[in-house]
Amino acid sequence: MRNLLRTLIATGFVLLPGPALAAEEVSVEEVVEQAADLAGEEVTVEGELVGDYGFRDDGWMWTQLNGDVYVHEPIREGGSPLGANTGIGIRMPIELAQGLDPPGRYRSRGPVVLATGTWKYHDPERQGESFLEVESLIVVEPGRHLSEDADWGVIVSGALLISGAAGIWFARPRE
Amino acid sequence: MLIRPVGDDFRVIAFYMGRIFLVIAGAGILPLAWAAVAREWNPFGSFLLMTGLFALLGVIGVRLAPRESKLNWSHGMVVVALTWLIVPVIGAIPLLLSGHFGRPLDAFFDAVSGLTTTGLSLLGDVDHLASSLNFWRHMLQFLGGQGIILAALSIFAGTGGITLYFGEARDERILPSVTSTARFIWAVSVVHLVFGVTALGLVGWLVLGFDIDRAAFHGLMIFFAGFDTGGFSPQSTSVGYYHSAIFESFTSVLMVAGAMSFGLHYALWRGPRRAVFANLETRTILSTFGLTMALTLLGLAATDVFVSAAGLTRQGFFQILSAHTGTGFSTVPSIELAGWGGLAFGGMAIAMALGGMGSSTAGGVKSLRIGLTIKTVVNQIRQVLLPEHAVVGTAYHQSGRKHLTPNLIQSVMTISLLYVALYLLGAGMGLAYGIPLQSALFESVSASANVGLSIGVTDPSMPIPLELVYMLQMWAGRLEFVAVFSLLGFVYAWARGK
Repeated sequence: MRNLLRTLIATGFVLLPGPALAAEEVSVEEVVEQAADLAGEEVTVEGELVGDYGFRDDGWMWTQLNGDVYVHEPIREGGSPLGANTGIGIRMPIELAQGLDPPGRYRSRGPVVLATGTWKYHDPERQGESFLEVESLIVVEPGRHLSEDADWGVIVSGALLISGAAGIWFARPRE
Repeated sequence: MLIRPVGDDFRVIAFYMGRIFLVIAGAGILPLAWAAVAREWNPFGSFLLMTGLFALLGVIGVRLAPRESKLNWSHGMVVVALTWLIVPVIGAIPLLLSGHFGRPLDAFFDAVSGLTTTGLSLLGDVDHLASSLNFWRHMLQFLGGQGIILAALSIFAGTGGITLYFGEARDERILPSVTSTARFIWAVSVVHLVFGVTALGLVGWLVLGFDIDRAAFHGLMIFFAGFDTGGFSPQSTSVGYYHSAIFESFTSVLMVAGAMSFGLHYALWRGPRRAVFANLETRTILSTFGLTMALTLLGLAATDVFVSAAGLTRQGFFQILSAHTGTGFSTVPSIELAGWGGLAFGGMAIAMALGGMGSSTAGGVKSLRIGLTIKTVVNQIRQVLLPEHAVVGTAYHQSGRKHLTPNLIQSVMTISLLYVALYLLGAGMGLAYGIPLQSALFESVSASANVGLSIGVTDPSMPIPLELVYMLQMWAGRLEFVAVFSLLGFVYAWARGK
């Protein structure tokens, strides 16, 4: 499966336009840590799209790209909680965002993508916001649903506690 | 001689805590219903467990009522201090069962942080957290900001209310009775909730292009955390997630409203509005905000991080407003905040330490104390400079003409010094673990003043003793010490009294 994905990624790169080929491949963590150094650079970043897809009237779609441990090891599938997320804001032309699977949230992992674009660090045109302006996008892994099983032991325990409270409340006359 | 508490003392405390737990159990129905509607069955079970435990403890406490359930000052303070410890213990159950925390203490940390409206978090992967759990985290901030005791007082009128009210670090009774004051505070909050959620939701839907249900969700979460100066957010990138000046503007209005004393809200609603600006507290907070804003902007301008004045102003204004109001929202990552040295760091740290207004949802030393301290110092200097028999005026304006009395000065100085000591305690602990001074001080002030801005020290890998100290700081800082010392005194009397 991994080999197949690598082949798909490699094929994607071949099909990409020129600027994307020249882009430096960096992790989201590197973008966050070296934000000033990468200002204005063309970069390629891999990560999961999470949160919302904000389709704005000005022709851009805004969302968040996470590049942390949870992308490949979601907590819902047994991954360990290892701290906060690492994410950056991204925007792309609306036409580039058409057909994307829903973004990652509870019980769903968003599409994992390779996003290539210009890192805008405290962009003066956006009053100091920092974000990746995406020019091309490859879906590495489609989004998918994550299962959730109800814990009946917890539910029954809770119901018993509430019954107990109600029992005590109604058993003796109130003050 | 220390008098050892007897059975009736414990029963009175249990009775009042029981009442408060019943109110929290009632509040727990909201996230429970949310989880059911969203079909989030794992959180649903954990909310059922939490609500059941609150209800059971509440009923047992109420059943323990003594014949004479009169609450004295000591009882009231113990009730407040214990409630603010036990509610997060039980409130942490859904967080712990979510699987988003590595150790139980971390879930408790987040619950303490939520309830005290601090906003520091050890939660892993908030971006995939269940919506009902996000609702509960933010609702904890709402309950904590309003005051969980206040919530109970709004429902249960009765003797002892005044003790509980003051125990929760409120020093201003707006209306004649505590119950009517509590209800007024809730009325103010509900009005802000309706307008705040509507405004943020509409911006999310019409400007940011979110789906309408998600826009409403974000609006509600940011309202809870903004108006109650809590600082949690449903996405890991905080308010920076929205990439919108208009969204930040509405959020800023909520932060300011949250940091205003409810007495000021009352004056703005019903009183002569001009008088508001004559208040020492209003003048102090406007001055300190202007000063810390200038410091931060100058510091940032010197670093060349922002190449445009608009960028510098928008980003600088938002971070400093968030710090001064004790909210803890940010639009830049913590790693970047960590790099703000010199004046920018100084401006942010001072703003956090000073905090908002008294009797508000904000933390920190509070503006009125700062104003009174400055006035006292100025008076002392004038006393020295003027002829020996000259009389230095002690009047100040705060909802009417008042006078600085020795008792008031002593109280103000004591609490202010205790805050400084609390800031140094966490900083010293951080230093002991090898954290650089600047980072240790920033994080310690953030925890003690219930702000929640972090430069990366608060992390699941942090040492447990440091985590415990931060929790102590959040708890003591929120309650402004009196209830905490009363609890310690009560325990000491129980152990050593006769």
